[in-house]
Amino acid sequence: MVRLRSLGLLVAPIGVALVAWSCDRQPNALAPTIGTPLAHFNEFQCTPLKITGGGRIDYPPGSAEKNPPASHLYETFGAHVMDDGDCSPEKGSLEWVDHRPEWRINGQPLNLHSTAITFAEEAVDTDCSDGAAHWGGTLRVQNTGEEAEFEVFDCDNGEPGVGHDGFAIRVPAIGYEVMCPDPDLPPAEPACTLTGGNRQFHPTHR
Amino acid sequence: MRIDTFRRAIRLLGLVLPMTVLASSAQGQAYGIAVKTNTVNQKLTSVVLPAGEGTASNQDQSASVPGFVTAQDLFAIVSGDPDATDGSTAVSSATLGAVNLLNGLITADGVVAMASSSGDDAGVNSNAAGSSLANLVIGGSEVSDPAPNTRMNLPGVGYVLLNEQLPSGDGVTTSGMTVNMIHVVLQQPILGLLGQVTGYRTVGDIVVGSAKSSVSR
Repeated sequence: MVRLRSLGLLVAPIGVALVAWSCDRQPNALAPTIGTPLAHFNEFQCTPLKITGGGRIDYPPGSAEKNPPASHLYETFGAHVMDDGDCSPEKGSLEWVDHRPEWRINGQPLNLHSTAITFAEEAVDTDCSDGAAHWGGTLRVQNTGEEAEFEVFDCDNGEPGVGHDGFAIRVPAIGYEVMCPDPDLPPAEPACTLTGGNRQFHPTHR
Repeated sequence: MRIDTFRRAIRLLGLVLPMTVLASSAQGQAYGIAVKTNTVNQKLTSVVLPAGEGTASNQDQSASVPGFVTAQDLFAIVSGDPDATDGSTAVSSATLGAVNLLNGLITADGVVAMASSSGDDAGVNSNAAGSSLANLVIGGSEVSDPAPNTRMNLPGVGYVLLNEQLPSGDGVTTSGMTVNMIHVVLQQPILGLLGQVTGYRTVGDIVVGSAKSSVSR
């Protein structure tokens, strides 16, 4: 009995140390640079994270106000990503629809569907109160079948998500982006403020 | 005695804590069109949030339930995560382009139904922010930006609920929202012995643009 207790005393601190080590922030994000540097979302780190939810953006302008419905100037999406801290996500998915008339391709609204999520990193230099992430991978343009790389800037800035949280996407290969790099807009550049929905950042392991 | 009480308390905690974790949930579903009558029961462009965290979607370039509704550019997206530690969330949306109900009685050229629920230690909440109707015309008259749960009679047909919002949950540990942007309730008159109308009975429903979300913690 005494031996068991001694063994427990010996093993417990090692366990605690291992858990603490596994949750420790690890620098040197591995995300590829597919665009030019931005005002925010410049400092990243590999850390366990999860961010989920969906929403609506009225872009342009990407502010907290909805455009007139008849303008059809809005985008809707669902997206999630989960990473255990190595910047190489275990899970993730993006579904994006742009309802703007000028983005109708082959008679349908632009529809982007992720095929692989290849990186995810926490952004540590934003104003997003609950957490932010930069993640991406490859997607298929459903209208054409074309494959392309993409990146998103994902911001959880409290509750409710509408008027607070933000999201932005860039697909350089097809010249497409919904980004709002206006320093006067909340919550943080370059994310466009949600006019519906919610983003929920889960600081896993923290 | 005190040790026994302490042990019982620990045992109870051991049972209750995992149940608390398991009790957290996030649910979402969305669809473009649903028609239910005595002879028709169809739900088109439908999607349900998968178990665990995730995103799911469905789409159709066009859809039709003959005699009731036609629509173009239908998308249904759900995304969410039941997370007992950091908070649960569920967001559902259904979007449609041009829609036509009951052979032109109701038309619109842009429908967005969006429901969002989230919950954490601070509480739970749901909303229908982001929902909208574009260029809605009913019986030849334009209806712009209808308030939640706007009801309009449709003589000979029944009535329509616009921007129908149905909250659910206790607001403390559970919260949910169902949004039906166009909900036609089909009715038939009930006739008395002398042929007079004594009331109406519901014989069917048409829903265009529906999103539902809920969380519990």
